Amino acid sequence: MILDSLILQSKLFFTEDMGIEIDDIAREEDSVDLNLKSHTAMIGVGGELNMMVVISFDDTMLDKLVEVFMEGEDVASEEEEEIKESVTGEVINTIIGLALPTFPKRGKGVTITPPISINDASNIKKHKDSKIVSANIRTHFGELSMSAIIAKDASK
Amino acid sequence: MLKILIVDDSLIIRKKIITIVEKLGHEVVGQAKTGQEAIDIYESVQPDLVTMDITMPDMDGITAVKHIMKIDTNAKIIMVTSHGQEDMVIDSIKAGAIGYMLKPITDEKLAEIIGEAFLEYTYSENEDDLELSDDDL
Repeated sequence: MILDSLILQSKLFFTEDMGIEIDDIAREEDSVDLNLKSHTAMIGVGGELNMMVVISFDDTMLDKLVEVFMEGEDVASEEEEEIKESVTGEVINTIIGLALPTFPKRGKGVTITPPISINDASNIKKHKDSKIVSANIRTHFGELSMSAIIAKDASK
Repeated sequence: MLKILIVDDSLIIRKKIITIVEKLGHEVVGQAKTGQEAIDIYESVQPDLVTMDITMPDMDGITAVKHIMKIDTNAKIIMVTSHGQEDMVIDSIKAGAIGYMLKPITDEKLAEIIGEAFLEYTYSENEDDLELSDDDL
């Protein structure tokens, strides 16, 4: 259910807001670890539903998103990294914001942490009491993965 | 022309708001990446309006609103937020913010909310326009 919400809102965000068509979505319901792409951001969702959502982009996909966000304006080289981090954060923020009302058992007083960028990690391993659900989304411009690390009983 | 302070930890969002604000003919008098920076800058630039992100590191937007309202009880602050943060928007309004704008930010949305915030301002400006000078008589 959580993965369904994330996939649906990702599809809507990329196709309608970003104008990027999705070619394929591959789901993975119980991964042991997350293999991260070049640019990754994560957000914690607090409250009754305690989870971490991770989004990871390959270079070409993020370049396309930066282009859309900048509306054709050039990016100064000294700002390039910060812009990329900023775009990664905004994308995950927006998708979580849209998906949150549809999450089951979310309760009241849900909080969202600011996005955190991860630069040097290549994978994240799950804790024994947690579960990783993921979707790998392929577009003409590259790939991204969207994952949630949740308590084992919260994924339904 | 209004003096506007932009508060957001995201560079891309600050750039977007700056572009729109300048297109609308207003002046960006300051930018802040955190709630604490916003408080520090507020007093020195005395903006007519603040656009305030909710979720930021260091100090969140709701706490920053509370501090700014203590500095200036007439401060006009608009929260800029994503879907799913309704509880936090309510807390911001209780803290003194006058309105909110949901992302994605567009020219139309920002123009509308600035217009709503400054109905009184634009009305009094219009009143001045309607006053006849000696030359008109």
